[in-house]
Amino acid sequence: MKYLDLAMNAAVSLGAEYADIRIQKTTDQVIYLQNLSLKHTNTEIVHGYGIRVFKDGAWGFAHSNVFSDEALLATVQKAVDIAALSASVNKHKKLRLAPERSYIATYKTPLKIDSIDVPLQEKVELMMEVNRTMMAYEGIKQAVFYLVIHKDEKLFASTLGTRLDINTQFIDPMIIATANYEGDSQSRTFDEGGRAVGWEWILSLDLVEKAKQIAEEALIKVKADVLGPEERRSLILDPNHLGLTMHESVGHPTELDRVLGWEADYAGISFATPEKLKNYRYGSEIVNFMGDNTLCEGLATHGFDDDGVPGQKWHIIKDGILNEYGSTRDTAMEIGLDYSRGCNRATYYFDQPINRIPNLYLMPGTKPLTPGELIADTEDGVYIQGRGSFSIDQHRVNFQFGGDFFWEIKNGKLFRPLKKVIYKSCNPEFWNSCDAIADERFWRPFGVVNCGKGQPSQSARMTHGSAPARFRNIRVGGSQ
Amino acid sequence: MNIERIAQYIKQHTTAEDYSLHVSNWDSHETRFAQNGITQHIAGPKLDITLNVSYGTKSGSCTVNQDDETTLAFLLKTAEDMAKLAPEDPEFMPTTSAVPLPKVDNCDAETRDLSPKQMVEIVQKAIDKAKAIDATVSGMTEKHYGESYMFTKNGFAGSNCQTNFGHSMTLKKGSVETKVDYDAKRFAPFNLDKDFARLAAQATALEGMQSFEPEKIAVILRPGALQELMWFMGWMMNRRQSDEGFTPFTDQLGKPFFGDKFSWYSTLLRPELAASPYNYEGYASVEIPWVEKGVLTTMPTNRYWAQKVGTTPSGSYNMYIPGGTATEEEMMQLVPRGLIINRFWYIRTVDAKKGELTGMTRDGVLYFENGKVKHAINNLRFNDIPHDATRRILALGINELASSHASLPTMLIDGFNFVDKTTF
Repeated sequence: MKYLDLAMNAAVSLGAEYADIRIQKTTDQVIYLQNLSLKHTNTEIVHGYGIRVFKDGAWGFAHSNVFSDEALLATVQKAVDIAALSASVNKHKKLRLAPERSYIATYKTPLKIDSIDVPLQEKVELMMEVNRTMMAYEGIKQAVFYLVIHKDEKLFASTLGTRLDINTQFIDPMIIATANYEGDSQSRTFDEGGRAVGWEWILSLDLVEKAKQIAEEALIKVKADVLGPEERRSLILDPNHLGLTMHESVGHPTELDRVLGWEADYAGISFATPEKLKNYRYGSEIVNFMGDNTLCEGLATHGFDDDGVPGQKWHIIKDGILNEYGSTRDTAMEIGLDYSRGCNRATYYFDQPINRIPNLYLMPGTKPLTPGELIADTEDGVYIQGRGSFSIDQHRVNFQFGGDFFWEIKNGKLFRPLKKVIYKSCNPEFWNSCDAIADERFWRPFGVVNCGKGQPSQSARMTHGSAPARFRNIRVGGSQ
Repeated sequence: MNIERIAQYIKQHTTAEDYSLHVSNWDSHETRFAQNGITQHIAGPKLDITLNVSYGTKSGSCTVNQDDETTLAFLLKTAEDMAKLAPEDPEFMPTTSAVPLPKVDNCDAETRDLSPKQMVEIVQKAIDKAKAIDATVSGMTEKHYGESYMFTKNGFAGSNCQTNFGHSMTLKKGSVETKVDYDAKRFAPFNLDKDFARLAAQATALEGMQSFEPEKIAVILRPGALQELMWFMGWMMNRRQSDEGFTPFTDQLGKPFFGDKFSWYSTLLRPELAASPYNYEGYASVEIPWVEKGVLTTMPTNRYWAQKVGTTPSGSYNMYIPGGTATEEEMMQLVPRGLIINRFWYIRTVDAKKGELTGMTRDGVLYFENGKVKHAINNLRFNDIPHDATRRILALGINELASSHASLPTMLIDGFNFVDKTTF
């Protein structure tokens, strides 16, 4: 496309040491159905370009939605001008970019059926059937189906000579049944998170059967007992719960920009500081976390990040020890690394990319172990499925999580359903208490599509994953 | 962007029986700094055009960010195609017609015309001040200018012009971290010297942190902390959700559900507060007493539910919680011991039906005893129910602008429930 060359040539002629342009068209389709009433049906197209200029140790980023030579050149000029203003402040604190080579490549999310192309009627008919299925249960007062389909078409060029053509897509279905009973109200949610796949995934899920299951479980949950006062207990956490726990307590603390204090004013910093690399016991010996932006169906699998750095796979925690961060070209050099791990991502064309959590997952156990065996081996504990309340301090140390569905475990058996369970823990206590992880047959991904970070705020996506895992001696109890 | 051309295009070309058109156009400049250097620097416009159309009770919508004729044709066709394919909506509401709108003043020329150079100079001064006290500062300096419009086929027409200036600073000195921020529709009242002096004073007060175990204890919530807590409580106050039994406010309308020292309004009468003249559903903003002296008087209600239950629709457009005259020093005299909280962080719902929230303190906690601040303490986690907490209000301070949309007092609350602590 002519705009790529025009922008890069202009940036170089204006003195940019490095520059890139990202022409990005984002298509979002959102359908929200509640109690058979279609509350929201919207298709949104956000199309434009962002130009990033690096000069004298500082960034300038300007964006526009107008596609013309004049507008593009004015945007380049604006980026150069504000980079110069930034540089005037950074005289004694110049940023540096890790070396990178040039690439000419394409990447496309592998999918069989483009979800955007599936007729609205087909989508809504499925959603209505799921809604009706849940509402057929006496006691279900609210049935929700929330469907998000997201597509990004990006052209990227940099002054290194890189030219990328990247098309990614994901779909995220969420079903919620809410039951009322004797003054209480409880919801149960089907939520696998988003996945970088096509409509074929939806067809494979049998959502009507899932609707029956969550409606029945909502009714069980609203009538369930509340766990007594907080005590030290064992926890067995399902992959679709553990996804968010690892996101908050491992993913964010190992973003290098947080470690450097670049998020100090808003999202916070990290306890996992550089002197702890290669020596800090973050978890027990069976805890291995991979950063993996090559993961099949992963939400952060884009081929390349918005620095033009290819997707990679690396140990973030190895045998329980803090091994490496997720980094970008401008954060890596701050701790003496001469390479980036390719974690720089922007949400829309008008966003300057920032250091993001990669696809991050807990490796499964290496010995054969089923979830049933894990429960049978647990005398007193709680089994948690699904996402609930989540909160963590800004250094990523102390946290409290709820869940979506709970079973008390007594003498190796699921004893009774529970509601309103929360657990409290902190780093590094929590991951060091992990004493068993089911094997790879039970590993499942969990996609996060709304990771908020940055000023101005951006919402990113990434995939987590694990097999069911057990944590010993955690503070678990009922809420107030 | 030419709003008349966009509106005329839709009016002339749509086949829909009803429609609403929403257009917003913003120009922003955002300078982000961290650890005494600029890390991000962003400038550019954002356009957003949303068209909602309907045929009978079938609706669809589309949003685009360009206004050329090809894109507008796409906008129209996509919204109309979606509406034609959609099922009948039993809760459909036709758009509103023309109504008189209140005059608001959300726009300030000086703020709109702030130059990038002026903004970077502010950053430079903040960094120089931090260096002078052997500290680092991180934050963001931002300026926004925007115009938004709404039109309906039935004749509603509204517009709103807005400016916003913000400057936040988180200071780190040794192990102390603390923050102040300015967020208002006008730049003129901003005073960097004053804000930085406050930041430095907060940092000094936080030196010598001592370990503190969680307990139920009196708290003085500064406006930034109270704002966070109140927004979360407000999100649970939806009328329909309550009528259908999902929130703690079920069957509480008209009753003294809060403490009698607590009132909460959305208001057009306070010039320092930004306020939209109309709601996204197409009705005029009016004075709304959400809570008056502890009585739950109004709950956010959309047009469909308002019609169903026989009330007027209402939506929050800003937050005004009237205060009193008590100073922090006077508040400290009212209880034997307690904590001063600068800010909360990561508040989330624990139990939606009970209204229970959790969250952490952030940016500094001070312990006081016998009317005097003794020392700083580690950050704490709370699990508490905000509407219950309003029944334990002991005193109210003078109002401060916590953000462009919120004016709140400092508030002394007894028996706030802290349940855990962290290491810093």
